[in-house]
Amino acid sequence: MYSRHAQRITPGNKMASRKEGTGSTATSSSSTTGAAGKGKGKGGSGDSAVKQVQIDGLVVLKIIKHYQEEGQGTEVVQGVLLGLVVEDRLEITNCFPFPQHTEDDADFDEVQYQMEMMRSLRHVNIDHLHVGWYQSTYYGSFVTRALLDSQFSYQHAIEESVVLIYDPIKTAQGSLSLKAYRLTPKLMEVCKEKDFPEALKKANITFEYMFEEVPIVIKNSHLINVLMWELEKKSAVADKHELLSLASSNHLGKNLQLLMDRVDEMSQDIVKYNTYMRNTSKQQQQKHQYQQRRQQENMQRQSRGEPPLPEEDLSKLFKPPQPPARMDSLLIAGQINTYCQNIKEFTAQNLGKLFMAQALQEYNN
Amino acid sequence: MSRFFTTGSDSESESSLSGEELVTKPVGGNYGKQPLLLSEDEEDTKRVVRSAKDKRFEELTNLIRTIRNAMKIRDVTKCLEEFELLGKAYGKAKSIVDKEGVPRFYIRILADLEDYLNELWEDKEGKKKMNKNNAKALSTLRQKIRKYNRDFESHITSYKQNPEQSADEDAEKNEEDSEGSSDEDEDEDGVSAATFLKKKSEAPSGESRKFLKKMDDEDEDSEDSEDDEDWDTGSTSSDSDSEEEEGKQTALASRFLKKAPTTDEDKKAAEKKREDKAKKKHDRKSKRLDEEEEDNEGGEWERVRGGVPLVKEKPKMFAKGTEITHAVVIKKLNEILQARGKKGTDRAAQIELLQLLVQIAAENNLGEGVIVKIKFNIIASLYDYNPNLATYMKPEMWGKCLDCINELMDILFANPNIFVGENILEESENLHNADQPLRVRGCILTLVERMDEEFTKIMQNTDPHSQEYVEHLKDEAQVCAIIERVQRYLEEKGTTEEVCRIYLLRILHTYYKFDYKAHQRQLTPPEGSSKSEQDQAENEGEDSAVLMERLCKYIYAKDRTDRIRTCAILCHIYHHALHSRWYQARDLMLMSHLQDNIQHADPPVQILYNRTMVQLGICAFRQGLTKDAHNALLDIQSSGRAKELLGQGLLLRSLQERNQEQEKVERRRQVPFHLHINLELLECVYLVSAMLLEIPYMAAHESDARRRMISKQFHHQLRVGERQPLLGPPESMREHVVAASKAMKMGDWKTCHSFIINEKMNGKVWDLFPEADKVRTMLVRKIQEESLRTYLFTYSSVYDSISMETLSDMFELDLPTVHSIISKMIINEELMASLDQPTQTVVMHRTEPTAQQNLALQLAEKLGSLVENNERVFDHKQGTYGATSEVSASGSSPRPASGTLTASPLALPPNPSHLSPADQKDGYRKTRATCAAVATASSHLKQPTELSTLSHA
Repeated sequence: MYSRHAQRITPGNKMASRKEGTGSTATSSSSTTGAAGKGKGKGGSGDSAVKQVQIDGLVVLKIIKHYQEEGQGTEVVQGVLLGLVVEDRLEITNCFPFPQHTEDDADFDEVQYQMEMMRSLRHVNIDHLHVGWYQSTYYGSFVTRALLDSQFSYQHAIEESVVLIYDPIKTAQGSLSLKAYRLTPKLMEVCKEKDFPEALKKANITFEYMFEEVPIVIKNSHLINVLMWELEKKSAVADKHELLSLASSNHLGKNLQLLMDRVDEMSQDIVKYNTYMRNTSKQQQQKHQYQQRRQQENMQRQSRGEPPLPEEDLSKLFKPPQPPARMDSLLIAGQINTYCQNIKEFTAQNLGKLFMAQALQEYNN
Repeated sequence: MSRFFTTGSDSESESSLSGEELVTKPVGGNYGKQPLLLSEDEEDTKRVVRSAKDKRFEELTNLIRTIRNAMKIRDVTKCLEEFELLGKAYGKAKSIVDKEGVPRFYIRILADLEDYLNELWEDKEGKKKMNKNNAKALSTLRQKIRKYNRDFESHITSYKQNPEQSADEDAEKNEEDSEGSSDEDEDEDGVSAATFLKKKSEAPSGESRKFLKKMDDEDEDSEDSEDDEDWDTGSTSSDSDSEEEEGKQTALASRFLKKAPTTDEDKKAAEKKREDKAKKKHDRKSKRLDEEEEDNEGGEWERVRGGVPLVKEKPKMFAKGTEITHAVVIKKLNEILQARGKKGTDRAAQIELLQLLVQIAAENNLGEGVIVKIKFNIIASLYDYNPNLATYMKPEMWGKCLDCINELMDILFANPNIFVGENILEESENLHNADQPLRVRGCILTLVERMDEEFTKIMQNTDPHSQEYVEHLKDEAQVCAIIERVQRYLEEKGTTEEVCRIYLLRILHTYYKFDYKAHQRQLTPPEGSSKSEQDQAENEGEDSAVLMERLCKYIYAKDRTDRIRTCAILCHIYHHALHSRWYQARDLMLMSHLQDNIQHADPPVQILYNRTMVQLGICAFRQGLTKDAHNALLDIQSSGRAKELLGQGLLLRSLQERNQEQEKVERRRQVPFHLHINLELLECVYLVSAMLLEIPYMAAHESDARRRMISKQFHHQLRVGERQPLLGPPESMREHVVAASKAMKMGDWKTCHSFIINEKMNGKVWDLFPEADKVRTMLVRKIQEESLRTYLFTYSSVYDSISMETLSDMFELDLPTVHSIISKMIINEELMASLDQPTQTVVMHRTEPTAQQNLALQLAEKLGSLVENNERVFDHKQGTYGATSEVSASGSSPRPASGTLTASPLALPPNPSHLSPADQKDGYRKTRATCAAVATASSHLKQPTELSTLSHA
């Protein structure tokens, strides 16, 4: 698995070098400087290279199709996004899926496949530049360590890359749910340092500033638009009934269940942190006592004319307890936030529907 | 050179140690030994060796001298010290000894010392007088020398075979020395023997010696060793070793003794008595001799000869022609009694003697007082027969004991003028003066109590499944009869305390027996059941309930010791419970407040308490009061140690934890088998009542996040049942209950019923109740009712309304019962419904929360705890801020992290809180889900974790 990931970055590296060739310098050092170099830094967290993501209809359809064909239940599908960066806009014009992994073909060469795909696509004159990846999600539970790490390595290699999160369940309810995320520059810095607890402490980052959502625009070519209009006239497609469906308790229940699980994890983390704090303070006290004792002893020795005891390495005597991983709780918090957003959105919609239904009923009576 | 120095220093230290006299003597010794040494050693090494040898031997002889002196003055401590030194010195002289052989004088002192020590050791009286240090030293020295002498065994035996020769040899070599030593020897022997005698002059052995005077030397010798054995059987081997030598000593001793007894003889006023004693001694001796025969073949023929005629004499307690008077008999009795409790006395023989004495007393018409007195003592010595607390009486002894007590009671009843009491002093006894009331010391109550204890012990130690047990149990009637007689006797003459005690004894023999007669009587007249217990009892008379009532009330009123009253109350409750008088039993239990302070009682009372509680629970169950039954049994059953708590057996599990002693104590506490409460019945009653309570409760609180368990044990059984991979038809009682519980969960009362009441369960449990059928009908009804409740709880959500008639058909209950059950449920807010009177239907109201609402509630709870935890983090930070700030230089270390932690939950609560009320108010109805392809969340983590492992690139 390690190789798969590492190799996935390689095209990005290539691209970076290509970019350097095109003229922008010092992109790899930090994204903020890159953004500043482009002169589009403005506002707090939106201080990054990409201001907007423009997706072709084709990409959306391909992602949906991919999930429909391969994704089931909690199974997650992933794929590569191809496109171009135009000013501060990321245009995603094509994509292709990663093949589903099975245990049998463990020696399947992921990189080879990617390279092959991109080469083939170039042959048919399609954009072949790697600009990110997409992933389906199950009830919005995507804020995970895995996603963070993947996105970090993407963004590290290809500065503009995004991750598209596709929620098939929401989509099935009638509204397409597709979101583009990027890591914030701050988090990038933190991740670069590898030492999470320390870096996080310094960066003073909270879960709200971990990911930034990039607005999405779905764009079709004029030809397609024309075709659509024509089709609309011809076909008597039924109204969007799904939107009015009141049957949503299951969805809500699932969300609540997931939220509850995360809350449990959070509780555990807090308890862990609590014990850590306790242990630290206890150790501090011990350390203090030890130092005082040492001092007294030295004083006595001095009065007796003996040489003071040699200074010992305190850190060796008192090994500080392992601090709990902060990133995990941060991620959990982020995930909880996502769930809450989901639920809020969902309940808001449903409340509206319910009021409408009530009004209708009253009207009928 | 070095040798010279060392030896020199040795001798110096030696001289400083020992007395002056001792220093001079060895010089002679040196000269004496010289020729011997010279003759054996080579020329060139001669000088050195000789002096070394001399020095060593001088050292040894010096030490020996001191030891002998110490022996003379009976200073064992000194002896011990010197002996240790001697051992060391001998070790030093080892090289020489190896060449020379062990010197005779050394062997001699060893042998002498051992003999001397044995002598001292056997002298009990002397030992008592010894001061502590000496006594201690004596025992250590004795052990030491025994060990030490083992190495020299051959030498010592050879020495003992002809001590003369060795003495001669010694004498040849060193006149002075041998003279002195032989002198010492002689008077030492004399002294020791004399002291020995002196100490024992009042003890029987003195007499025995005198008696033995007639016999020839050898016999005497063997007798002596016999006597020794009497005192210390452990020293047999050493005795036999030193027999010959001792023979000489005792020969000497007896020479001395000859004079002493004659004076004794003069002093003795009653010749008869002495003769009695002698005879008694003969008895004992002959007995012992008989025993001895097997072991000691050498002296066999002599002993038998001595024993046989004596055995013939045995029945004659008194010399012929002596006038048997009170004084004589009582004296005799006292003699016998004096031996009581001593180590050497033969208890069986003592009993026999006492019985003979009774016969004699009876034959000579000495009056009842004497006989009563002797009888008391016979019973007491019967009890004493077993020195060990754990062992129990042999059946024949037991029978004898019962007979004896009965006879005693006969006499006491026949002669109302005899006063018996513990507090009558020996001096104020009046055994024969017929004018005044007879007064005898002794306590009949204690005897009976002791008898009861013995009976319990016998029952405890008999295999409960054997015929033997039944045989023993037949004696129970006799025991009860005796107790009753004593009770009658004491009611007339005893103090209230004594009456209380005997009443308690009576109660203890009554409370656990089910009174079938009264039960039958109660059943036969139809109006009897309506009448109260007391009325009927008055009509009928001897009812155990009335008896209990009478005895207990007396105790409640008169008793001053807490224990007897407690026991009486418990027994009373037990008896009530056994006879299904639940309310009386319960009220008594509550009034007594025993539950509060029973843990301060001693274990047997606690066991009785446990038994009572269990019986109470079973009684409640029979009455159909499942809740009370459950509560009463909960404590016993939940511990899982019912067996132990009821005193019906030891748990194997804890066998390792306790030591031998504790185990013995616990074994003694065990309740005899015929008092046992059937444990399976107990468990079954508990589980069934738990089932009747728990199943409806579980159904009612299905979706409750935090519901408590009523009975842990029941849940445990359920879980065990669920874990079974393959469910066959139930075999054991537990499996039956589990199967029944499962059926009840579904509201299927018929299956439940068939699991609880069937052939197997009848045989195992239900038939054990006195009124089995009544219990069964009660049980069926309970099952029907509870099944109905369970059914309503479980399925109310699928009904809009349900006709009560249907319910009554389903559960085969009559309509009013169904009506009352449902009404009760509605009143208790267990069932959200209302009754529609005209149509006889139950109309359900839907108020129970939906799945989402439940989830939301759970979430709210979890968030609550999260916030709590979070606040604790904050508190912690604040509390330790001052302490840590000075150490951690930056001071900012914990802040950002906790900031992130605090920030997240603080942002959270608004969401669910505004969500859940909205959720509840607008009431998402249960509708079919349209969302497809929503599977469990279990596998959704699979991919991400894979990614996370590869992410650390």
